[in-house]
Amino acid sequence: MRFRHLVVFCLIVALTLVPAASEAAGVSVHDAWIRETPPGMTVMAGYMELRNNTSRRQLLVAANSSGFESVMIHRTIIKDGMAHMVHASQIELRPNMSLTFAPGGNHLMLMKPKRMLRAGDPVVINLEFRGGLVLPVAFEVRK
Amino acid sequence: MNTSSLKFSIMTTSVALAAVLAGVWLAEIDREHDSRALLLPDPVITLFPDPKPLTAFALTDHKNRAFDLASLKGKWSFLFFGFTHCPDVCPTTLAVLARARHNIARNTVGAEDIQFVFVSVDPNRDTASKLGQYVDYFDTTFLGVTGDKAQIANLTGQLGAAYQVRTAPGMENYPVDHTVAVFLLDPRARHHAVFTPPHDAEVISKRFKVVRELAAGNAT
Repeated sequence: MRFRHLVVFCLIVALTLVPAASEAAGVSVHDAWIRETPPGMTVMAGYMELRNNTSRRQLLVAANSSGFESVMIHRTIIKDGMAHMVHASQIELRPNMSLTFAPGGNHLMLMKPKRMLRAGDPVVINLEFRGGLVLPVAFEVRK
Repeated sequence: MNTSSLKFSIMTTSVALAAVLAGVWLAEIDREHDSRALLLPDPVITLFPDPKPLTAFALTDHKNRAFDLASLKGKWSFLFFGFTHCPDVCPTTLAVLARARHNIARNTVGAEDIQFVFVSVDPNRDTASKLGQYVDYFDTTFLGVTGDKAQIANLTGQLGAAYQVRTAPGMENYPVDHTVAVFLLDPRARHHAVFTPPHDAEVISKRFKVVRELAAGNAT
């Protein structure tokens, strides 16, 4: 039990180190959330509002999280009334512009959560940008 | 212009005219009931002036009961096609439909005569128990139904819905492309209307209220 307490304590400390609105090297993230899924589901989606505060373009090239087996950048495209999911190898953030990851559009596809995630749970996802910048972002699971 | 293309253009013109008339009619009824006037042409709902009756089909619901033409009779049915491994569009749409149902249930007429049906086009992964667990999460009144390929194709074909399973050898998390519209069938099992995305709970429940009143007016 003592070990378990220590693990929980470390987790809380780690999470408080990640601010709710993450910011690094001029890219900021707001309103980062993951949709809660029915029990037993192994695929989730993450959404957020990204802002490039610099005068240079930024490229989001990958994402990873210890909370999931894998994270991919995806985009839902609606063509002829049908939804298609495509993998985006990179997402461009234009200088001084915002970009939204929202239902029915860009999203992080989160596969195989390591534990059951319920509304209110925090999960950190690291966003990787071209040039080596890694931005840890605290996502909140929401119903 | 030859005869067949003339025929075709007369046909398309009358279909378009009928659709516009239905729209105007809808706006008129809505004003009568003192709710917000509908904008024309309506970007959310397409009402069919001459609803097409569905023919026999056979699917199975998440409690292993038959879901067929008889299951549609006497109820307004909202149908949505998808799959449970869908991370974005399906949970988003089902959450919207759950809120729409909640809105309709609060209405004086209530929700006794409506049902929401999630049709899985991925029977390979979506077993009855999985479907049950899935739809229950959004609303315990929702039905999850599926069938084999031919059975699903029968219903999608009748409604003009489409889907494509993008499976590949050894691929566990394959995606499925599918129609995003929500189909509205009337209590006589006819394809009455279709809701086009982006779906919004308030808009769907308001439009449905008008559609149901309009149909009740027609019946008397």
